[in-house]
Amino acid sequence: MSDAVTLTLATQPTHTLVADCIAADRFAGLGATAIAALPVVHGGRLATLGEFFRVRGERASVVRIEGDCTRIDGIGTGMAEGELMIDGSVGRDLGLAMSGGRIDVRGGAGANAGGAPAGAARGMTGGEIVVRGSVGDEAGARMRRGLLVVTGDGGRGMGKGMIAGTVVVFGNAGPGTGRFLKRGSIVALGEVERPATFRYACTYRPPHVALLLRYLGSRCRLDVVAAQVTGRYERYSGDLAELGKGELLRWVGA
Amino acid sequence: MKINGVAIEDTFAEAFTMRVARLLITGQTLGWAREAAVKLTGFATSVIGCQCEAGIERELPDGETPDGRPGVSVLFLTMDKASLPEQLIVRVGQTVLTCPTTACFDGLPDAPDRLPVGKALRVFGDGFQASKVIGGKRYWRIPVMEGEFLIEETFGMLKGVGGGNFLILARDADAALAAAEAAVAAMTGAPGVILPFPGGVVRSGSKVGSKRYSNMIATTNDAFDPTLKAVTQSQLPEVVNSVLEIVLDGTDGPSIEAAMRAGIRAACRPGVLTITAGNYGGKLGPHHFYLRKILG
Repeated sequence: MSDAVTLTLATQPTHTLVADCIAADRFAGLGATAIAALPVVHGGRLATLGEFFRVRGERASVVRIEGDCTRIDGIGTGMAEGELMIDGSVGRDLGLAMSGGRIDVRGGAGANAGGAPAGAARGMTGGEIVVRGSVGDEAGARMRRGLLVVTGDGGRGMGKGMIAGTVVVFGNAGPGTGRFLKRGSIVALGEVERPATFRYACTYRPPHVALLLRYLGSRCRLDVVAAQVTGRYERYSGDLAELGKGELLRWVGA
Repeated sequence: MKINGVAIEDTFAEAFTMRVARLLITGQTLGWAREAAVKLTGFATSVIGCQCEAGIERELPDGETPDGRPGVSVLFLTMDKASLPEQLIVRVGQTVLTCPTTACFDGLPDAPDRLPVGKALRVFGDGFQASKVIGGKRYWRIPVMEGEFLIEETFGMLKGVGGGNFLILARDADAALAAAEAAVAAMTGAPGVILPFPGGVVRSGSKVGSKRYSNMIATTNDAFDPTLKAVTQSQLPEVVNSVLEIVLDGTDGPSIEAAMRAGIRAACRPGVLTITAGNYGGKLGPHHFYLRKILG
């Protein structure tokens, strides 16, 4: 048993690599050889994780990934616990339908981060995803619980159809953010294009946002400005075309 | 044993096992946090008549509170498990929820016994409440006219200690009061301890039951009442004309001992003749705080 399992990208995939076998809790019960033998799909063909990654360590629920994984999809799929730290960018479907644990990406992420598998009603149902960069379209779509934090910009349809949970975006959120939101919170610290089916409620200092941002500053070491912690937020209720119990909180300054 | 010429009696304070919760109340200013805490801990001097004992443990600087605002730490004690959540739900709902700018957090996060205080209070939101999980803890956001009241879903409960005490026997009332005030000042802010009585001081120490009224569970401690020296089996020396008591509740025995040590030393001043303590012969309470051992 090791303190951590480290995957170092040794061979850059030439096509999209679906590596939905990479999850911290899954590695907790596996030796290095078994980890290397886990199946992946490269350009539509079956392969093994070991063909692309050098594996160090075994039987640990703390996993580090080193290398540019922009072409690698599905990292952290279905993860239920443990910690997954990625030094570099990742492809689409990061933390797909995860239910617990923590994913920390020191780079960007592709589309559907924290989202749902195709045809599924629910995206992530728990845990935390921190992306220290920008994300692609529909990040946090249909999420049921949990926390998705994006320090860069969000793509189109961020938090689309969210059932509950929290999305925080430090940069600008793309068009269609929060559309079809049932419950849950989208905290926008940059620019955000509000859907027409959201209605302004008030401008106030939401106490849970202060708590959340302080948590992100201390636990995740994110650069949170004091004015964001103590500042005022416009609250928009929505999506009124849906249940309408969600909210879009837009930071408007100290 | 004497400290500054004040005799320390060879006796012990007898205390009871209680259930304790710690609440951290924050506000936009320390003043508002204190307002809520003072109301919350009002009429909570003794379980004899108040069903609970509570007090402000200490003030918390910005850096020590979950939301980074100034706050106040409060200890809340009851005799049994069932009445602690009952008291907290009623009192927090009427005093902290109602107070502008405040939020309420659990101060015993590692306690395995959890009291669903926020979970019960959430229904004030009439269906408009919402929960948030932050760092593994669930909080309830209850909409109020000011904005939102934030409260943690559950609060920890531990076994605590109630009824630590010492008595200040003085030459006159002024000396007793000055000594009591000095003792309280020395104990204020002691971690894990509260002094639940007004200003931390009790003038009406009680004995169990009554000599005359069968329905009374506690009546005046006539053995320590100076005005009754001539007509009762008094325990007061001739020169003692006033007695004040300090009662301490806390999270654990060592915390109470440390506070008693500081308080008794501060109370040993001119005009004070003896420091003693109240007990029931050691038969009722499992916690015995021997004065000379504490001060030795």
